[in-house]
Amino acid sequence: MYFKKIPVLKIEFINDEYFVLRFRDKELTQNIKPGQFFQIKDPDPTFPLLPRPFSVYEVEDDRLSFLIKIVGESTNNLSLLEEGHIIQLLGPLGNGFPLVQNKKVLLASGGIGYAPMPYLEQKLKESRNEVIFYHGGRSSNDLFCYNVLNCTEDGSCGHAGLVTEYIEKCFDSITINVVYACGPEPMLKTIVQMCSERNIPVCVSLERVMACGVGVCCGCVIKIKENDSIVYKKVCKDGPVFDGAKVVWDE
Amino acid sequence: MNKCEITFGKMKWENPVTVASGTFGLEYAELFDLSQLGALTTKTITPEPKVGNEPQRIVETEAGLLNSIGLQNPGVDEFIKTYLPEYRKFDTNLIVSVSASSVNEFANLVKKLDTQLGIDAYEINISCPNVENEGIAFGTDPEIVFDLTKKLRAVTEKTLIIKLSPNVTSITDIAKHAESAGADGLALINTLYGMAVDVEIRKPKLHNIIGGYSGPAIKPVALQNVYKVAQAVHIPILAMGGISSVNDALEFIIAGATAVAVGTYNFVNPLGTLDIIEGINEYCISHNISYKNLIGSIQT
Repeated sequence: MYFKKIPVLKIEFINDEYFVLRFRDKELTQNIKPGQFFQIKDPDPTFPLLPRPFSVYEVEDDRLSFLIKIVGESTNNLSLLEEGHIIQLLGPLGNGFPLVQNKKVLLASGGIGYAPMPYLEQKLKESRNEVIFYHGGRSSNDLFCYNVLNCTEDGSCGHAGLVTEYIEKCFDSITINVVYACGPEPMLKTIVQMCSERNIPVCVSLERVMACGVGVCCGCVIKIKENDSIVYKKVCKDGPVFDGAKVVWDE
Repeated sequence: MNKCEITFGKMKWENPVTVASGTFGLEYAELFDLSQLGALTTKTITPEPKVGNEPQRIVETEAGLLNSIGLQNPGVDEFIKTYLPEYRKFDTNLIVSVSASSVNEFANLVKKLDTQLGIDAYEINISCPNVENEGIAFGTDPEIVFDLTKKLRAVTEKTLIIKLSPNVTSITDIAKHAESAGADGLALINTLYGMAVDVEIRKPKLHNIIGGYSGPAIKPVALQNVYKVAQAVHIPILAMGGISSVNDALEFIIAGATAVAVGTYNFVNPLGTLDIIEGINEYCISHNISYKNLIGSIQT
């Protein structure tokens, strides 16, 4: 884990909702696992007070980037930064996805849940896995890449309907060994349910409001089934990736 | 050269900066040598493990942070076994924050910890707003504060710091009771009561409805409490409440604090304490004043 203040290399808008924040740093990029995240903050405005957690999107040599959706003040402020502006980063944080080898794996993402997937896909392919990638969004605005099976709820691009409908069809026609999922919780819950019916292990990456991001404050806990009881686990440190079968979903 | 050494109770600190309980942990040892702090303060430890409160536990508001963590901690036995040996590795003072649900439980907890090496002080958390029947239940009654302090004074020789709540009618009355019962120092303030509502679903944002409010927003509140208490007692004050910069720390010291603790700001910048240590030292040099003379030097 590092805490560094470094300049923004580049900001690239994908559309009016999403942008990619790019940095260059030799230290930060040394040992990042797919699914790990950084706490990012522009140190200049005092408020919003806390940094925000963002999954690592792409890592290539000393280049590091984050796919960010504008959802509030912090993300909007980040989108308005100029190249060269000094930003603070704390990370890499969290456990990251456990990687398998020589398997047939399914990546399933929804909306901004796409963020950790490209780097995960890259690492899984390096470990000789066959990767199938399904991504869903509300509209074409939520799609990021043509090389995946895209679904939109409004049918504006790719397959029309929920990504989970197409994942179910995939399960019925292909034998999948492991599933990696990130996206809205109703989607994750459905995928975990489908996986448990078919005995397929599933890793889900979760998101919670965080303060410290490192396991100190205990603010971001979720309920996890452990043996016969239910315990609190920290999304920042014990996660953000959990065994989907053990997550107790919010009502 | 560091000219800001202090004496706090029976402790000698190399600089007057520590961290507020619950906002700091050994995790930060990956980022810097924790021995650089004047003291380390642990998360509050209770006699038995505590799982903490139901989430949602934290909400950021306009100028601060609301929390209702509920003193989640592994309990004293696990603390002694797993955490204390790690804390001992740092060459600085260790303040163990403790809470319990009765005077006797408090006394037994401190007795148990007192058998261990490496603890320099106890911070008695009688001001946590997020747990029922303990914490703040003790901190709002001057007579109970007196009895508890007296009982704890009888079981330990180590520095005894009573952590006070701002959610009371007269903080100076409570401070005086702690002092007369034998406390070595006071820590203030703990969080203010706070609340936030999600207007779309018309529900409180925290599951516990009401939580503890911290961060820059509470600094003026904390400052006037520290000022008032400093006028009323002779024992040293460890001040906290929104400290986020050197200037913030200096305000508290000038108002009468012997030492300061950084809390919520650790989440914003985990290395902020180091800047504050350096900045206080530089201030003393540039203003040609000793740290000792700076404490409580406010001109009114």
